Amino acid sequence: MEVPPTAEPILSLSGISRSFGAIQALSDVRFEVRPGEIMGLVGENGAGKSTLVKIVGGFDDGYTGTYEFSGSSVRFHSPGAAELAGIAIAQQELSLIPAMTVAENIFLAGHNVRTIATKRTLAGQARRYLDEVGLSDIDPSSRVDRLSVGEQHLVEVARLIAHDPKVLILDEPTAALGESDSLRIIDMVKRLAKAGKSIIYVSHRLDEIFKITDRITVLRDGQSQPPRQAKELDVNSLVEMMLGRKLENMFPDRKAGERRRPLMSVRNLWPDGALEPVDFDVFGGEILGLAGQLGSGTGEILAAIAGAHKTRSGTVEFAGESFLPKNPRAAIRRKIGYCSDDRKYDGLFLGRPIRENLVSPALETVSRFGWIAGNAERKKAREIAEKFTVDVSRLRAEAGVLSGGNQQKVALGKWLAISPKVILVNEPTRGVDVGAKAEIYRKMRDLADDGAAIIFASTDMQEITYLPDRVITYYRGMQIGEFDLASISTAGILKQITDPFDETNL
Amino acid sequence: MEAIMRLGRTFVPPWLERWTEKHSSPLVVFLVALFLAVFLYGIVTTDNFLNLFNLKTIIRDAALVGIMGIGLTFVTLSGNFFLLSMKETAALCIIAFAMGMSNGWGFELSLLATMGVAVGAGVLQGLLIGLGGNPIVVTLGAAGVFIGIASWWSDNLVVSFRRPNDAEWLGTGSFLGLPNITIAFILIAVLAEVVLRYTRFGRQVYLIGANRAAGKATGHENLPMAIKVCTIASVCSGFVAVAFAAQISSAQANYFSSEFGSSGDMTILVIATVMVGGNSIMGGYGSTLRTSLGAVFIAVIDNMMVLRGFNSGPRVLAVGLMIVFSIIVFSLAQKGSRAQE
Repeated sequence: MEVPPTAEPILSLSGISRSFGAIQALSDVRFEVRPGEIMGLVGENGAGKSTLVKIVGGFDDGYTGTYEFSGSSVRFHSPGAAELAGIAIAQQELSLIPAMTVAENIFLAGHNVRTIATKRTLAGQARRYLDEVGLSDIDPSSRVDRLSVGEQHLVEVARLIAHDPKVLILDEPTAALGESDSLRIIDMVKRLAKAGKSIIYVSHRLDEIFKITDRITVLRDGQSQPPRQAKELDVNSLVEMMLGRKLENMFPDRKAGERRRPLMSVRNLWPDGALEPVDFDVFGGEILGLAGQLGSGTGEILAAIAGAHKTRSGTVEFAGESFLPKNPRAAIRRKIGYCSDDRKYDGLFLGRPIRENLVSPALETVSRFGWIAGNAERKKAREIAEKFTVDVSRLRAEAGVLSGGNQQKVALGKWLAISPKVILVNEPTRGVDVGAKAEIYRKMRDLADDGAAIIFASTDMQEITYLPDRVITYYRGMQIGEFDLASISTAGILKQITDPFDETNL
Repeated sequence: MEAIMRLGRTFVPPWLERWTEKHSSPLVVFLVALFLAVFLYGIVTTDNFLNLFNLKTIIRDAALVGIMGIGLTFVTLSGNFFLLSMKETAALCIIAFAMGMSNGWGFELSLLATMGVAVGAGVLQGLLIGLGGNPIVVTLGAAGVFIGIASWWSDNLVVSFRRPNDAEWLGTGSFLGLPNITIAFILIAVLAEVVLRYTRFGRQVYLIGANRAAGKATGHENLPMAIKVCTIASVCSGFVAVAFAAQISSAQANYFSSEFGSSGDMTILVIATVMVGGNSIMGGYGSTLRTSLGAVFIAVIDNMMVLRGFNSGPRVLAVGLMIVFSIIVFSLAQKGSRAQE
């Protein structure tokens, strides 16, 4: 909705500084939100977004500067105090209790509800808040773990709304969601703003930011820039503000290659949980994108090829062999590398040095007769680090100290050690800031240019449209269609991954 | 809390502070410094502590526990927790060895047979753990099985073999003034450290221990690893059993439960060496060198308490406190390093 540009901000911070030891996380930051306004908050990882959100929400009171809320100067010493005043935060991680009902979760804190209430009264009272977030179609007495992840996020917000907050902070609400769930969140945000609530919307998804926010505040290196009207900006100018420099090309150039024989053919592959088996070919030197929402089974296909997911049947024809890897080890031996979508879970050894991470899949190549050759190891790690622009002087540091983007580079770059022929990547840039994203896209392209075949799965519409040379679409465990370079379009892909059978018109 | 931190900082020289900023919190350094201060005070004020004979005694006492601790460290570092069957494996092995000796098989053959038993015990436990069994349950069960067999086999009696015999050199012999068992401890400690640091196997121990899922994803499966590390731990137990039997030319199933060391319970003592050395219980961080130092450290404390006339109650308490203390310090140190991110 249109917010009168003269309206007094309901929440306004000025001259906010916060340091942790020698690190200046925020310096002289200004930030404000007007009533009924949707304010976008963007910045690279480490720019200070989460520190600012913590201060606003009362999680951190170790700052200097003034914080005004509803016209009076405040300093919240705990999240509870901020909540009482009318500031609520929906964290990225859900804090619902899965085994309880929707209504019970909404009234978990016990506000606005009688001390003793039957399940039915609770459900009745919950209805109102569910309507507000656009969840009119679910039963308040159904268990939370029966809902989709997107619906759970909405319930989380409904719970916050039950406290009738004036300002609602949404921290990456759509990071883990597919396209249609994201749309519901966006819908809800707009509805809430219309109802007069102020929203602070933190997100890495730039397309989204433009869709919903009124104004955008950019943080860079702990400093704020004056808020800008979203209408005045476009993706390029916003990215420029975030980086402080021009990002030449987010996505490297593509080429429609003349492709004769496939490098790898996936035949009749039926990962556990998929609806039917899939078939496709991939060519050396190309980047193939598997498009699909959460639950479409694209990640499972990649994992199955890598031997990291149970399969009912199928073969992979590759290098004159027809096989189905039993475990990742078998895939690695054939020079197939796989990055899952959760690098902290199985992509990195966070507590071990970066160098050890980089050579971890290829210990054989840096050892002789079972002994690790220190020189060979250092050389290999340095080589990969240089190629992947990981700071070479930090190779002895633990991988855990790196930022999300650099961690992802290590998780992906380690596969260089096996001289890979096929690289499978699930969500290549999840939780990675925009600068590192561009670098990772560049590296994936470089690997393809060196002759490897790259297959990646993504729910990010931007990267699935602009990174790959070819796209195959999936919907609920079924293979739907294919786009070649000339025919790739966001709209076309979106149609096939959200509603391929035109169910709405049935 | 903050007051303690500030107090800690005032006692810490700048270079140490720089080091600790990188590695852990000032509180950890303060606690360790406090502990070392008590320790040094004990050394200086205990009569008969600082003489060559006593120091040799300490190392000899540390040797048997230390060797088992080194074996167990492989299991812990690889993320497979602890073998709670260390002393029962040793019991089974000591009976096997004494049976061999008393039947006149001679040292070599008895040793070989005992090692066979140890390898069997290790492979069995490693297989069950590697296939997904909970290490606590598996090794508690195995402990029952081993001690049961050992007691039954020996009728719960002392199995002794005649002196002189060809095993005595290991138990009571010495070389250049050092007991052979001490030399064995030092050799094993060096060997283990070299294996962990410089071999592919050692690297795999650390990687799988640091993150089992990432280990699997990079081609390092835990099943073969669990079998290998459990076998190493069992063989160390078996070796200690042989050395102990060789010292006293006899064996009984309950030697490692009641008659041994300060705490009387070998398993707890062995776990203490791993913990006091500062190895992560979750795996991935630590070294056998730390365990060896942990073993010596515990032996020093115990020795000091003996010299000061403490009986077994307070000595057991001391071992227990050291385990608790090391857990606290280690978890604080980890929190400190996480705060650095």
